[in-house]
Amino acid sequence: MDMGGKDKFELENRNEDPMNYAPRASDFGFGVANLANTSIGMMPTENPMAVSKGDLIGSSSCSSTSLVQSFGPTLWEHRTNSENLGFGEVSVQKIQSTSDAFGIRKGDSVSFRTFDKTFDMSWNPTSSTLKGDIFSPNAPVMLHQRLPPFPADSAFIERAARFSCFNGGNFNDMVNPFTIPESMSLYSGGGGMIQGTQEAFAGNSLKPVSGAHSQENELGVGEASKDVSLPVEHGATEGSPLKNERNSHSLMGSRDEAKQGIGGSGNDSDEAEFSGAGDQDEPSLLEDASWEPCGLDSKKRKRNGQGTKIDIAKGAPQKSGESAKDNTEIQQKGNRNQASTTNRNSGKQGKQGSQTSDPPKEEYIHVRARRGQATNSHSLAERVRREKISERMKFLHDLVPGCSKVTGKAVMLDEIINYVQSLQRQVEFLSMKLATVNPRLDLNVEGLLAKDTLPSRVATSSTMGFSPNIPMVYPLLRPSQRGLNQAGLPGMGSSSDLLQRTINSHLTTVIGGFKDPTQLSNVWDDELHNVIQMSYGICAPPNSQEADGSLPPGKMKVEL
Amino acid sequence: MRNPSLIKEEFLKRWIIALRRCTSLKKNMNILERNKVVKLSADLAMASARNGTTSWSRALIANATRDNDNRILAEQILGPESEILVKRVSTMPFKTCNRRKIRSKRILKRSCSSAIRRVRKTVPRKVLANCIAKRLIQKRTHILKSLVPGGEFMDETTLMEETLDYIAYLRVQVDVMRSCTYC
Repeated sequence: MDMGGKDKFELENRNEDPMNYAPRASDFGFGVANLANTSIGMMPTENPMAVSKGDLIGSSSCSSTSLVQSFGPTLWEHRTNSENLGFGEVSVQKIQSTSDAFGIRKGDSVSFRTFDKTFDMSWNPTSSTLKGDIFSPNAPVMLHQRLPPFPADSAFIERAARFSCFNGGNFNDMVNPFTIPESMSLYSGGGGMIQGTQEAFAGNSLKPVSGAHSQENELGVGEASKDVSLPVEHGATEGSPLKNERNSHSLMGSRDEAKQGIGGSGNDSDEAEFSGAGDQDEPSLLEDASWEPCGLDSKKRKRNGQGTKIDIAKGAPQKSGESAKDNTEIQQKGNRNQASTTNRNSGKQGKQGSQTSDPPKEEYIHVRARRGQATNSHSLAERVRREKISERMKFLHDLVPGCSKVTGKAVMLDEIINYVQSLQRQVEFLSMKLATVNPRLDLNVEGLLAKDTLPSRVATSSTMGFSPNIPMVYPLLRPSQRGLNQAGLPGMGSSSDLLQRTINSHLTTVIGGFKDPTQLSNVWDDELHNVIQMSYGICAPPNSQEADGSLPPGKMKVEL
Repeated sequence: MRNPSLIKEEFLKRWIIALRRCTSLKKNMNILERNKVVKLSADLAMASARNGTTSWSRALIANATRDNDNRILAEQILGPESEILVKRVSTMPFKTCNRRKIRSKRILKRSCSSAIRRVRKTVPRKVLANCIAKRLIQKRTHILKSLVPGGEFMDETTLMEETLDYIAYLRVQVDVMRSCTYC
């Protein structure tokens, strides 16, 4: 998906203060927000200080320091324009870098645990310093990129950052995610194994899970791995068929439905359970999948500013993620929810609530409850319905002439009504005309076909000689066309033959006395031709031909 | 949407066949009868061309076969396949069940409109404009529903689709008839 890339760019383009990082982070959606990023991110941010202070982190293992060091230069290299989103931020710039770091990462999973502790220790003192440092150099954020395989997603990182920023010491929650590296280590099989891990996780974690933290963690890991994969555009490679289905759904079809923002998923709970963060992605993905079947589910996915719960159908992980614990986080979530209203083709985004940040550029269309609007199924279904209607109006634009400039439903409807009425009147008029002109209601099929095939109106008095069986009685020729008959014959031949044959086949049962008229047709031909020659006008022929039309029957009677 | 010339050919074929069938029944028709026959045959031709896939075609056929006078004629026109079509049309139960909906909707509308009138003075302009626009749209939708055959019982989305189809059909009909009269 391009999403990840876009998200990254969005992030990069934003200048935030720590307060706003949340919206941005939410935009990551599936950004490469890794646990590793958060954990290591903190570490690197600290590291410059730590190194200066004495390398708290490195104490755990020399590998860690090497890790940091290895990351450091790389991060600095890569870090060009990512913004400083706080240490929680995931600069989701380069996923490839994650793969680079992956190999390193694997071995160091153990070290992360130690990092946790070091973080704990050094968190508070460094947090403030970090903040100051973070925003300026943007260096620490870069580290995130290189810390690949950890399935922390951006949402989680946000939360982590949030915790650090807002709740200074609320570290227990923070620590939880760090335990995930352990699980990561279990799963990770080798370099560049993001997908593999994801698949493993996906297989494990897709199903709804109880609120067990470990489970959630696993799920989160799975989700996070998913997140990683998504930006890497490995959607197809995601292990679970569900994921694939979802992806396909999202990629193909859920344009109609607005997906709840991945930002929304990012908004998901504050919980330190970064599994929630991971879960968000899954729910969001699930949303897509379940979106397709029934648009009404969308209501459940909508999040108001209050952070309504995600649809139960998505599964427990979502629920666990949903429980907002922090008011500030809820607020941020709300902001992000509003802000990260996802793109809608119909352009209803503009109507949505406050947008502090750009909406995540995801591939799905999310139906979002607008700020202050009801989130029940009716209004959402109504919106879907309205979209369908407007879609069809666009088709009508092409059909109804002169509607290019018209916008708006009422005027468009007006035009349509006028057009339909005029067409109906035309049909009525023409049928009346035919009825009068054509007393015996025989049609010049060849003439009509000729008109379709040849631009010139070559009528077919010649058809008389063509197929005498067919009661094509009197061609209502224009005199000017007679000269063209001979020329037009060969061209018409095939099509008119076919038509005649088909009509013949239909009429064999009915024809019966049709041969009689052929005798009379010659008589009528002359009269009609005269009439037609007299006036091509619409009004004239009916009058004259009425009189003529009355004659032949009389003649017929006489003759018969 | 679809290829118009193909539709034209199809329509023309069916129409001519239908006309022939009609005229075989009754040779000396006066002009009004002929008019009716022409229209009927054209309608049925097109409706049968759709094979009952669209709602308006079904409604057309249903209307045509409803009167006993027309029925024989219509069945003649439609030919042997008419039985299948008529069955398909008759199995459409939409009319009766929708009538209740329409009735209840009308009652609701009336009650709402009276409430809206009271509120109008106190309501800000934007809301008023919205209300007016909505009403316009509602009225026009209602008119459109009356125009499209069988449209009264549809919801808006299907109405739009049917209108699209119906417009295409009308165009073809007009073209064919015009070329008939001028040839």
